[in-house]
Amino acid sequence: MSIAIKNNRTHVHLLWVGFAGIVMFFAGLTSAYIVRKAEGNWLEFTIPDWFTVSTIVIVISSVILYFATRAVKSDKSPIVFILGTLALGVLFSYSQFMGWSELVNQGVYLTGEGSNPSGSFLYVITLAHLIHLLGGLIALLVSLFSAYQEKYTKENFIGLEITSRYWHFLGILWLYLFFFLI
Amino acid sequence: MSEHHNETFLTKYVFSQDHKMISKQFLITGMLMGIVGMFMSILFRLQLSNPGESFAVLEWFLGDKWAPGGVIDPNMYLALVTMHGTILVFWVLTAGLTGTFANYLIPLQIGARDMASGFLNMLSYWFFFGATIVMLLAIFLPEGGPAAAGWTVYPPLSALPQAMPGSGLGMDLWLVGMALFIVSSLLAGLNYIVTILNLRTKGMSMNRLPLTIWALLVTAILGVLTFPVLLACALLLIFDRTFGTSFYLSDIIINGEMLHYTGGSPILFEHLFWFLGHPEVYIILLPALGIVSEVISVNTRKPIFGYKAMVGAILIIAFLSCIVWGHHMFVTGMDPFLGSVFTFTTLLIAIPSAVKVFNYLTTLWRGSIRFTPAMLFAIGFVSTFITGGLTGLILGDSALDINIHDTYFVVGHFHIVMGVSAIYGMFAGVYHWFPKMYGRMMNKKLGYTHFWLTFISAYGVFFPMHFLGLAGLPRRYYTNSAFPMFDGLTDINEVITFFSIIGGLIQLLFVFNFFYSIFKGTKATQNPWKANTLEWTTPIERIHGNWPGEIPEVKRWAYDYSKPGSEDDFIPQTEPLKEGETEH
Amino acid sequence: MMNILIVIVVLLIIAALVQVVRVGELIYEVKNQDVNKVTDKDNKVQATLFFLIGGVAYLSLVLWQFKYWGVHILPPASSVHGLTVDALMNFTLGLIIFVFFLTQPILVWFVFKYRKNKSRAAYYYPHNNKLEIIWTTVPTIVLTVVILYGLVVWSKITNADVQGATVVEIYSKQFNWTARYSGEDQTLGNANFRLVEGKNALGVDMEDANAADDKITREVHLVVDKPVLLKFRSQDVIHSAYLPHFRVQMNCVPGMTTQFAFTPNKTTTQMKQEEGEKFDYILLCNKICGVAHYNMQMKFIVETQEEYDIWLASQKTLSEKLLTQK
Repeated sequence: MSIAIKNNRTHVHLLWVGFAGIVMFFAGLTSAYIVRKAEGNWLEFTIPDWFTVSTIVIVISSVILYFATRAVKSDKSPIVFILGTLALGVLFSYSQFMGWSELVNQGVYLTGEGSNPSGSFLYVITLAHLIHLLGGLIALLVSLFSAYQEKYTKENFIGLEITSRYWHFLGILWLYLFFFLI
Repeated sequence: MSEHHNETFLTKYVFSQDHKMISKQFLITGMLMGIVGMFMSILFRLQLSNPGESFAVLEWFLGDKWAPGGVIDPNMYLALVTMHGTILVFWVLTAGLTGTFANYLIPLQIGARDMASGFLNMLSYWFFFGATIVMLLAIFLPEGGPAAAGWTVYPPLSALPQAMPGSGLGMDLWLVGMALFIVSSLLAGLNYIVTILNLRTKGMSMNRLPLTIWALLVTAILGVLTFPVLLACALLLIFDRTFGTSFYLSDIIINGEMLHYTGGSPILFEHLFWFLGHPEVYIILLPALGIVSEVISVNTRKPIFGYKAMVGAILIIAFLSCIVWGHHMFVTGMDPFLGSVFTFTTLLIAIPSAVKVFNYLTTLWRGSIRFTPAMLFAIGFVSTFITGGLTGLILGDSALDINIHDTYFVVGHFHIVMGVSAIYGMFAGVYHWFPKMYGRMMNKKLGYTHFWLTFISAYGVFFPMHFLGLAGLPRRYYTNSAFPMFDGLTDINEVITFFSIIGGLIQLLFVFNFFYSIFKGTKATQNPWKANTLEWTTPIERIHGNWPGEIPEVKRWAYDYSKPGSEDDFIPQTEPLKEGETEH
Repeated sequence: MMNILIVIVVLLIIAALVQVVRVGELIYEVKNQDVNKVTDKDNKVQATLFFLIGGVAYLSLVLWQFKYWGVHILPPASSVHGLTVDALMNFTLGLIIFVFFLTQPILVWFVFKYRKNKSRAAYYYPHNNKLEIIWTTVPTIVLTVVILYGLVVWSKITNADVQGATVVEIYSKQFNWTARYSGEDQTLGNANFRLVEGKNALGVDMEDANAADDKITREVHLVVDKPVLLKFRSQDVIHSAYLPHFRVQMNCVPGMTTQFAFTPNKTTTQMKQEEGEKFDYILLCNKICGVAHYNMQMKFIVETQEEYDIWLASQKTLSEKLLTQK
C-alpha cells in the first residue's frame, strides 16, 4: 500500500533516526549508572568472561554480514552469510545468558539479598541490549527468507541493507556498553 | 495513482497507511480522551470548592465505592488528578496535537505524496490506540483505582502498592500504557523527520518551508531524543516494582513493614523523568507556535514577521529546553551550583519566547485582520502565551521557587501555557484546516461562541490560581480545609470551579460542531482562506497521493500576502516569480 | 432506569441542536448567502469583542483581582533570608506586571485597529533586522539583571553560615511530622531506619553518645533571631517540608538527608498581633505522599530565649523516654 517514494534512501534515513532514539535510551540508562555510581555504596566486580566471548562473537557476526552485502552486490547469493550471522547471533544470546549465570555464581545479583545497584544496572542494561538484538534476529530471519525467495538484486537489496545496518548498529552499541561496563 | 489494490473498509478507514486518515484517527482519539480528562477535572474541582459536600453527580459517575455519599474518596481524588494530567499532557496535547497536524500537514505542505513510510505511520497510530485501551483499562479495571501518585509518578509513592492503592495494578497498567505511547511517538517521529528532510518537492528548500513545518520538524527531533529517556526511566521503575531492585528505593518503612530496598535514589527518577518532562512541554508548545504562525499570517494577509528569527527562535527554544530540567527539582536539595545553572538556562528561554511574541505583534500591526474562529484562537494564544510565559520568569528563579514550588502558582502557570495556549493552538488548527480535512466548513457562529466562552472561562479558572499560590496553597490537596490559614481562599476556589464547569462543558459545543460539520457542514471551496501553502492546491475530494497529476513545484516562500505589485492579496507558493520580482 | 432516561435526554438534546443549527444554515441558503463566510460585520464585532473582553475586561479584572484577592497572599516573610526573597519577588513581579500591562494592550489595540477595512490594504513587511536585534538585546539585558539578582539571593540562602545554628531534625512519614532536637551537645545522634522500633520511632542509634540528650517533640519551638538548621529525613515516600511564612521548603527523601538553614525574625506573639489570634506558624507537606497528604501538619512557634528554654527543659530526652519504656 505504499506510494512510490521518490527517494529510496528514506528507509535508511528512518533507520538512522531510529538509531538516534535507541542511543538516547541507552544514554539514559548509562547516565543513570554514572550518577548512581558516584553516590557510593557501589559493589565492584569483574565483568564475566562470557561477555568477552559475546564481544568477539558479535564482531565476527558483523564481518560475516558484511560479506552478505558484498555477495549481493556481486550477484551472488547471500544466504550462507545471513545464516552465519544468524547462528552467531544466537550464540551471542547464549553467551549473554551464560554471562548472567556467571554473575550469579560470582554473587552478583539483580535483586534480593546481597544485591547492589551496580549488579542491577549491569543486568538491566545488557538485557535491554539483548531485547534489541532479538529484533535484529527477527530482521535476519526476514532477510533470510527474502534471500531464499531471491528478492534481492544487485541494484535493489534495501531489506538486506536495513538488516545489515541495524545489525552493525547493535554491534557498535554492544562495544560501547562493553567498554563502558568493564 | 491507481497502482493500489482495491481498498477495503479495513484498509481505508482502520489500518490506513494514508497520512490524512491517520491524522484524523489521532484527532478523534485525542478529542475523545480529552473529554474524559476534562470531565475528571470538573469532578475534582467540585470537591475542592465545596469540600466534603455531597454531589449526586459525583456518586453517579464514580459509584458508591469511590464517592460514598456523593463525596469523593481522597484516594480517588488523587487518582483523578493523576489521570487528568496524564491524559491531557500525553493523549491530547502530544498525540492529539502533533499526531493530527504533523500527519496531516507535513506531506501536504512540503509537496509529498505521503509520509516516508506509511507502514510505520499506521503502526504509530495502532500503538497509540493500544496505549489508549490500556490507559482506559488503567482507569476502570483496578480494584484499588487508577494510578494516583500524580502524573509525575515519583517513587517511592508510585513504586509501592502499600503507599497508596493506586500504586498497585493501576500503576502497572499506567506504565504499560505509557510504554506503548512512547513507542507510538517514536515511530511517528521517525516519519516526520525523514519525510521533511527527504521528500520535499522541487523548489521547496528549507527556507521556503512554512513555519508550521519547521516547528513540527524540531518537535519531532526533540521527541526522538527525549522520549527514550522516559522509557529508560520507566524501565527502571518497572524493575523496582516487579523484581525488587533498588534503583529508586532505599531505607523504607511503610505500614509498619521494613522493606529490603537499599542504595536507591528517588532523585535519580526525577532527573530521568524531567529530562523528558521538560522538553515534553515544548514538544507540546512548538506545534502550537507553528500553527499559530500560519493562522495569523493567513488571516492578517501579511507575511509572518521575521521568518528567519522565528526559525532561529524555534531552534534555540528546543536546544535550551534540553538543559533546563533541573528547575523542576530546585527544592530537592540538589547542589546549589546546579540550581544556579538551571536558573540561568531556564530564564534564558524567555529571550527567544519574547522574540516570537514581538514578531506576532508586528505581524498584526498594519495587517488586515479577518476574524475566523481559527484566528480568534490564534490571537487568544498570543494573549495567554504572554500571561503564562511571564509567570515562568518567577518560577524559573530558584530563590523564588522555594516558596511557590508545588503550589497553585505553578498549577496556574502550566495550565495557562499548556492547558490554554497550546489547546488554543490546537483549536486554531482544527478550525483552520477542517475545510481541507473534511471538505466542509465548521459552523462559524458556534465557533465564535466556543471561543468566547472558552476564553473567558480559561482566564477565570487559571488566573486566580496565582493568588492561591502566593497564599501558600499546595497543589494536589484533597481539601484546603485542614489548614485554617487557607480559610479565606474559599471564594477564589468557588470562582475557579464555576468557570471550570462552564469552560469544560462548552467544549462539548466544539465537539458537536466538529461532528455536525463533518456530515452537514456547508461545502468548502478548494482554498477558502486564500492561503499560499501547498495543501490548498490539492482537490477538495482528497485523494490518495494528494495531487491528481504531478506534484506542484515551489517557486517562492510561503508568506507572499499583500505583496506590492500583485493583483491578489496572496500569491501561492507555486506561482513563479515575475520579471524583476525578488523573493522577499 | 434513570440512567437510560438520562442517555435518551442527552441524545434528544443533541438531535435538537442539530436541527437548530441546520435551520440556521438553511435561512442563509434561502437568502443565497454563505452562512460561514466571515463578513465585514463579523470582523467589526469580533474585533470590538476582543478589545472589550480580551482588553478592557481582562485587564480590569486582573487589577480587580490584585486588589481584592491580593490581600490573601502570605504576609511578609518571618525570616532573614525570607525578606530578601520577598524583595526579589516584588522586583520580579513588578517587572512582569509592567511587561504584561505593556504587551496586552498593544495586542488588543492592534487587533482592534487593524481589523479588515476595505479602504486599507495590509502592509507587506516581512522582516526588519534592526527591530529583531532591539527586542533580543533588551530582554537579554533585563534577564541578565534578573538572573544575577536571583543567583545572588540563591547563593546567600544555600550557603548560609550554619555555625552555631540550633540543629533540629524534621522526620516525615505517612502522615505526620516529628521533630528531634540535638540537645546540649548540639549534635544529633546517628540514626538508621533499621533501628526503628517501638518508642524509638525515628531509628536513633542509642549506642551513639550524641543520642542520649536528643529530644523528640511533636511541635517545633525556635528562638527569634537565632539561626536554625533543619535536617530532613523521610521514612517512606518523598514528602516536602513547606514552611511558607519563613520562605522555607525542602524535600524529605527516603534514603538521604536534606537540610535548610534560616533565621526566624518574628515571634509567634508578634504575628498573632498582626495577623489575628488564630495565627500560627505551620509546617505543611508539599509533595504528594498519599491519601492524607492534605493533612500533614506540625506547629512551629517562634519565641524568646526564656520561653524556649522553659519549653525545651520540659521535654524528655530520648534516653529518658526509651528507658521508661522498659
